[in-house]
Amino acid sequence: MVKASTTENPSQSVSPMQTFFIHLICGVGLAVGLWVAHNFYSISLISNPSRTLRLIWVTMCPLVILFYSCFRKNPEKCSYLKAVIRGVLALPIGALVNALGAIALGAPVGIQYFVPAASVFGSSWEDWRRIFAHTKPNASVDYMICLPAHGAVIGAWFGAWPMPLDWERPWQEWPICVSYGAMAGYLITMVLSFVLVLPRGRQQHPKAD
Amino acid sequence: MMEMGDWWRRGKWRIMVMLTMLHIVGILIFTRGFLLTRTELPYYSNCSDVSESPCFTGQSNPYQNQSNSRCWTRPAVDRLVIIVLDALRFDFVAPSTFFKEPKPWMDKLQVLQKLASTKRSARIFKAIADPPTTSLQRLKGLTTGGLPTFIDVGNSFGAPAILEDNLIHQLASNGKRVVMMGDDTWVQLFPHHFKKSYPYPSFNVKDLHTVDNGCIEHLLPSLYEEDWDVLIAHFLGVDHAGHILGVDSVPMIEKLEQYNEILDKVIEVLDNQSGPGGLHENTFLLVMGDHGQTINGDHGGGSAEEVETSVFAMSFKKPPPTMPSEFDTSSCEMDLDQKKTCISSFQQLDFAATVSALLGVPFPFGSIGRVSPELYTLGAGTWNLENNIEGNCPNQKEEEWMQNYCNVLCINSWQVKRYIDIYSASSVIGFSSEDLLHISDMYAQAEENWSCSSESLLLFKDESCYSSLPLKRKIDAYFKFLLNVAELARSKWTEFDLKMMGIGFVIILISLPIYFLAMMTKSVNGFSSLLFGDSEIFVKLVFALFMVVIRACSFLSNSYILEEGKVASFLLATTAMFKLRNSIKREKMLVEAIVFLLLITILRFTIEVGLSKQAATSLFMSTHSSWLVEIDPGHPVWIYMAEIIPILALIFLAYLLYIIMARSSCHSIWKYVVLGTILCYILIAVHWASESDVLSSMLMLQGIGRNFIPRIIYAVGLGQLLLLAFSPLFHKDRDLESKMHLLIKTLAMLSSCSSTIIVLSGKQGPLVALVTITGGYCIMRLGNIDRGSTDKVAGILTFDPLSVTQWSLLATCLFFVTGHWCAFDGLRYGAAFIGYDEFVLVRQAILLMIDTFGFSHIIPVFGLPFLVARQKLLGHTDQDGRLLLLQLSQMYLMYGLITAASVIATILCVIIQRRHLMVWGLFAPKFVFDVVGLILTDILICLAWFYYVGRREDGTQLTTLDHRD
Repeated sequence: MVKASTTENPSQSVSPMQTFFIHLICGVGLAVGLWVAHNFYSISLISNPSRTLRLIWVTMCPLVILFYSCFRKNPEKCSYLKAVIRGVLALPIGALVNALGAIALGAPVGIQYFVPAASVFGSSWEDWRRIFAHTKPNASVDYMICLPAHGAVIGAWFGAWPMPLDWERPWQEWPICVSYGAMAGYLITMVLSFVLVLPRGRQQHPKAD
Repeated sequence: MMEMGDWWRRGKWRIMVMLTMLHIVGILIFTRGFLLTRTELPYYSNCSDVSESPCFTGQSNPYQNQSNSRCWTRPAVDRLVIIVLDALRFDFVAPSTFFKEPKPWMDKLQVLQKLASTKRSARIFKAIADPPTTSLQRLKGLTTGGLPTFIDVGNSFGAPAILEDNLIHQLASNGKRVVMMGDDTWVQLFPHHFKKSYPYPSFNVKDLHTVDNGCIEHLLPSLYEEDWDVLIAHFLGVDHAGHILGVDSVPMIEKLEQYNEILDKVIEVLDNQSGPGGLHENTFLLVMGDHGQTINGDHGGGSAEEVETSVFAMSFKKPPPTMPSEFDTSSCEMDLDQKKTCISSFQQLDFAATVSALLGVPFPFGSIGRVSPELYTLGAGTWNLENNIEGNCPNQKEEEWMQNYCNVLCINSWQVKRYIDIYSASSVIGFSSEDLLHISDMYAQAEENWSCSSESLLLFKDESCYSSLPLKRKIDAYFKFLLNVAELARSKWTEFDLKMMGIGFVIILISLPIYFLAMMTKSVNGFSSLLFGDSEIFVKLVFALFMVVIRACSFLSNSYILEEGKVASFLLATTAMFKLRNSIKREKMLVEAIVFLLLITILRFTIEVGLSKQAATSLFMSTHSSWLVEIDPGHPVWIYMAEIIPILALIFLAYLLYIIMARSSCHSIWKYVVLGTILCYILIAVHWASESDVLSSMLMLQGIGRNFIPRIIYAVGLGQLLLLAFSPLFHKDRDLESKMHLLIKTLAMLSSCSSTIIVLSGKQGPLVALVTITGGYCIMRLGNIDRGSTDKVAGILTFDPLSVTQWSLLATCLFFVTGHWCAFDGLRYGAAFIGYDEFVLVRQAILLMIDTFGFSHIIPVFGLPFLVARQKLLGHTDQDGRLLLLQLSQMYLMYGLITAASVIATILCVIIQRRHLMVWGLFAPKFVFDVVGLILTDILICLAWFYYVGRREDGTQLTTLDHRD
């Protein structure tokens, strides 16, 4: 087994309450995005997928970048502003990765799910590897990032399955059901990560699954 | 137990052969129950045949004076108008009072209902079709009077034209002039039979009006013409409206109302001309559906909604006919206007015989229908019987009718008996002798009673007016015979044999545990180490199995079968992502992982192109405009590219082979083989250059024979294979188990196969070959990621199960990339004629087989050792050879397991979906392709095992390996 960089200390501990609020805000942000799209622009993911996705994206990105930047690593070395800028820079890179994945799989993955990681870890390749290749989160903030990101990917993967069916429903078009899948996966795993973070408030070294 | 284990270990080849046999037996049994086959007989009925029948022997024939002008039966109608309304449900025609509650689409064809309730010469029938209820099969059934099955073994291989004897053929050859308008399927089925035809494309389901308007345009004017005897007008609007919107929709009702109007006009025209001496003095009108449809507009299966359609028959002859009440089986209800409407029942199977009898042409040779008494009466009840009435019996007319009908039935029964006898004698799978005996008995019974002819009846005639009793008994005997034949034929040709299917399925299913056992036989305690030992390989195994299972589940839906290539590439990409993640984790081989992903992307787009090609011919796929269409293929740059790139790729391949050859120090025999392949590649390049316009003008190559080069290549390929097969005779190698040797062997085998496959695949061949090589290389490299780090053989699996899964998925993708799909129109028939101009069944079938399964089965199976051979040596060199053997056997078993698992899934889905709408359109072809692929894979695995390993493996070696740990 290759040793992962598990020795680093989590610089900033996150209490379950904070986790809860951040997840709540992200979830609410997602809902607000959909709600605004529906009520103010009277569009939905089905009728106008690209505009709706853009709208969700616009609501989610600032939320995600601003909040997750609070939990940046090494706060003494890295200012809040720097973390925010890193998050913003991660957007195009995330988009590129996303596009590659989309072309290979035919299933796009919403990029906002990767942005928190950029805000928190910056360019620490080790941390990236730890989260996304080994799936070995060990701090609360890792859970908060790792689980929803994976959840979104897996949700999108499953969301792609109804596409070829011949039900001739409007939501079977390309980005729609995949986006729904990604959102569902994101929301479910946010709850899951909260549940997993809860015991960590008391325990110091829980066993990562 | 010990012996058993010993037996396992002694020879993996035995297990492989056993599995192959198991699969073959299981598939044969399953196919026997599922794929209903019927042999098409090449015989045709002739007018003169009827003298062989017992129906006229030496007796005074009541119509002898006319026997010159008539053929089998006496023509009862002069002209026939058949209006086919596709997918006409029974409740479109019948009055709503016949059903529990009225629905919006009922009572729309009121002109028919009105006539049926007011006129004696018109009647509505409930017609029962036989599944499969697709238009093509139904038209075939209607015209041949048989029960078409999925595989009608016959001469019409590939082409839809009906070569079996049929009604249209009989009409045409007996001087009846047939005019057709509407659905162009008729013209495909009967390309040369129509005097005039106005076909309209039936392809576009979304188009409700083209076919119908075309029909209307020609129908009414034609009714005033004299130059036809039979007119067929086939309307498609209702079918299309059902397909896109369902039955309960506004366009459907509009269509029905439109038809009502047209039918009204048609009947008016016919009625106006039906006076004595008129154009339609003795015209018969049939308005009928070919099958029904469900509320959603689907059809194809055997549900009541789909098989129940309707026939409306009307005779314009005056006076209207009468019929003995004994044979009237109609049920009557009051219609909306409180008039009595009677509806009879009618089997579509009887259509060909009845119409033949009405028109007086010979019955189609393969017809097993019965001349329907009710429909026949409508047309035939009104000969000039009045003249014959001498006595004053009230039943005189009925008796005459019965006598005549009895005669027709006599001919009918004789013809059916003749068909059954000849069919059983000449077809591969005939009827059982028991059934035949039963039928012969019944026929003899019907024959012995009485003769239909009047002579025997004359005895009674004077005595009593009720002389019809023996006649009636005789008719009943004929009925019994004919109905029995129909029942037998139905059970043979339209009903699945579930018991056979179940047995076959279970037999194939047994092979799965055998695969597992064979893979696990290394040691008993290995099992636990598999489950709990190395979590890494366990995760991979679970992931690989998950991929296989999810792919298997996808076969449950017809949509996934249509897009199988995309599904396979999606799963392949998922495994590639998994590998990418792994490679990031290990910080190794990132390039390979990314190249592999890119490769899959290319495959994906190629499959997309293939799918768009398929959509152009498939009925089931909606044509979606893709950006791919926008590339203008006519541009000269593209033409040049298309000509030159394959040749460049080919040269690159040859160069690659040369490099590998030069580097490795191998035995001369392998060297010759590979050299031969390089030579073949050059020949192929020359061949293509000479074929293309662009290059040949440049290089002056036209002179070289078109067929010459491919034949040389086939010959060289065969020679190479023979050389390889007998190579153990020429030299005894000491280091047989070394990896280098295995690698060279694999290379020689692949190269000798590849030249033939490439030349058959055409221009895409070398590119696909390059893709295969790159993909295989990436898979192999990525499979080795963990080797270095773990550095021990952990658990029971000595290889990476994910690699084999990827290899298998890649093979599936390649099948679709090379432009195939699982349908018979997905075969590339052109490939069978590369190098040959004339058709020889076996030779061309072999070529087609190589083309179809070359890249997806032959190359992957023979190339599998590459995944083993390039793996790092594992540190214990003395046992390398044995380990290699073990790896190889496990990999082959795993590969076989994956193939077998997906085929089993297909079979299971076919069982579940056997009544599905698209069972004949999609599931059955998929089943055939999969099953052939499985048997081929099994055989290839056995061959590859013999080639790579031979019988050298023996138990002792493996046992020592067992005891080692």
